Amino acid sequence: MASVIERLHQQLVSKEISCEALVQQKLDALNASEYNGSNIVLDQYALDLAKKVDTKIANGETIGLLEGIPFGVKDVYLLQGTYSSASSDFLKQYNSPYTATAIQKLLDAGAIPVAKENCDSFGHGSSTENTVFGPTKNALDINKVAGGSSGGSAVNVAKDFTAFSIGGDTGGSIRQPAGYNAIYGLKPTYGKISRFGLMAYASSTDCVGPIAKELDDIRIVLNTMAGKDVKDQTTFASDAISDQATSSVLPKGTKIGYYKNFIETEALDPKMKQQFKDMLAKLEAEGMEIVPLDFFDADILVATYYALAMAETASNLARLDGTNYGVREEGENLKEGYSITRSENFTAETQRRIVGGNQVLSQGHSEEIYNKAQALRAQISHHFDEDFKEVAIVLSPVTPSPVPNIGDIMDDPMKMYLSDAYTVGFSLGGLPTLTAPLALETGLQITAAKRNEEILFTSANFLKQVL
Amino acid sequence: MTLDVLSSIKGATASKVVADLFEVIKKGHVEGDTNVAHYNAVEIDDLRPDEVVESTEAERNLIINNFPKEKNGFLVVPKVVEE
Repeated sequence: MASVIERLHQQLVSKEISCEALVQQKLDALNASEYNGSNIVLDQYALDLAKKVDTKIANGETIGLLEGIPFGVKDVYLLQGTYSSASSDFLKQYNSPYTATAIQKLLDAGAIPVAKENCDSFGHGSSTENTVFGPTKNALDINKVAGGSSGGSAVNVAKDFTAFSIGGDTGGSIRQPAGYNAIYGLKPTYGKISRFGLMAYASSTDCVGPIAKELDDIRIVLNTMAGKDVKDQTTFASDAISDQATSSVLPKGTKIGYYKNFIETEALDPKMKQQFKDMLAKLEAEGMEIVPLDFFDADILVATYYALAMAETASNLARLDGTNYGVREEGENLKEGYSITRSENFTAETQRRIVGGNQVLSQGHSEEIYNKAQALRAQISHHFDEDFKEVAIVLSPVTPSPVPNIGDIMDDPMKMYLSDAYTVGFSLGGLPTLTAPLALETGLQITAAKRNEEILFTSANFLKQVL
Repeated sequence: MTLDVLSSIKGATASKVVADLFEVIKKGHVEGDTNVAHYNAVEIDDLRPDEVVESTEAERNLIINNFPKEKNGFLVVPKVVEE
């Protein structure tokens, strides 16, 4: 089993390294990092937990697989007693009153959070440039963006500053930065992991997911975080993914689909198009049945996603008015105070999405735009249902273009939105999708039917062997 | 109601990029089953108990400490002006 977690676990058990020394190594690397992947490094918090693990080991007690393993947390998750800023001025001094369920499950398993990681403010972005902490730099080329919105999490994993990190994916925010930094990132089926304690962006597509260098680590962390939670009524109970899934291969004749219009378009970078076609040829040579599928145009997917996501974020962020928490600016009266507070403490991109969302929901527009977008979403979901009766998995590029340079897309919002063209559709469908660092410059997306994560792991293992 | 009032953001106006997204949706073709009610829906017999759960003292203290303004032991809320 190739697993960073397993390797570190063995080092701790064999006393090759103490937990305190391991955690200190990661803290030192995070503090010295020039990639700007962390908003806060949890020095003392992490060291206190590490000492407890060392005491257990010294007493001859058995430790669990995740016990003492350092991990990163996107700065949109609450971790009691630590700041959770959402990379915004608004919440820079917001001290988490409780801990998100997914993070609590990792804490219960003994894993140690070492950093709150940089991201696009409230998840609003695709490059981790829309952040008051400054842009995160790509792990492979510091002139390029980290991807987003979970950019800090992806870079920290890619640079080995964390054993794994927990990102959040609303329209591609785990899958795209994972692809940009050549690592794995999983957006599970909507509802597989509790969203309680995750700051809401678009509640109907928000997903918690792991980012890691090794497939087995994605599986281990997913199994730990998954499950029903009474604090998030959209969650469901699910079986653990077995380690067989990451060591098995797809049987010959497996039907593998791809969306023709994602590939036969001038919007896809020519080199990536060729890489994708070469990959299909290799899979066919391996005895797989390649099935071309029809799908919605990318512009419909992007427009539908953004109309709904903006509507939901406008509603979710309405609670941020400076009354109960966060920054409060004084005004002439109550409404003036709200207005100044929100104008001065949301970034330009967040304001654009809030205003767009209120447009979508306003009288006149709600029938023409919001209801139509919901109808389109339903069609997209039905389309997926039919596709996965025919094929076992769907393969697609993660992005249509190579990794952009820092500064290239922040001034061009439409360019930013279109960079999500291949990820947002699967979000609207609530499907499980895994980015694997294979075949294409920005990675390969493997998608399966709802609640069928297991085949993603088998497929990724198979593809890793044959590509 | 104007967008700046709806959004509580000073000077908020419609952006062209958002308008372009709306145009795409307006031209989108819808047919067949468009019912989304069952996606993400919660079963009525699977709701959590409707009961108060006490938060911990640590949680209550953190919530109080997060309050933006405090004076003489009281939490200060913005002045509400009737309009």
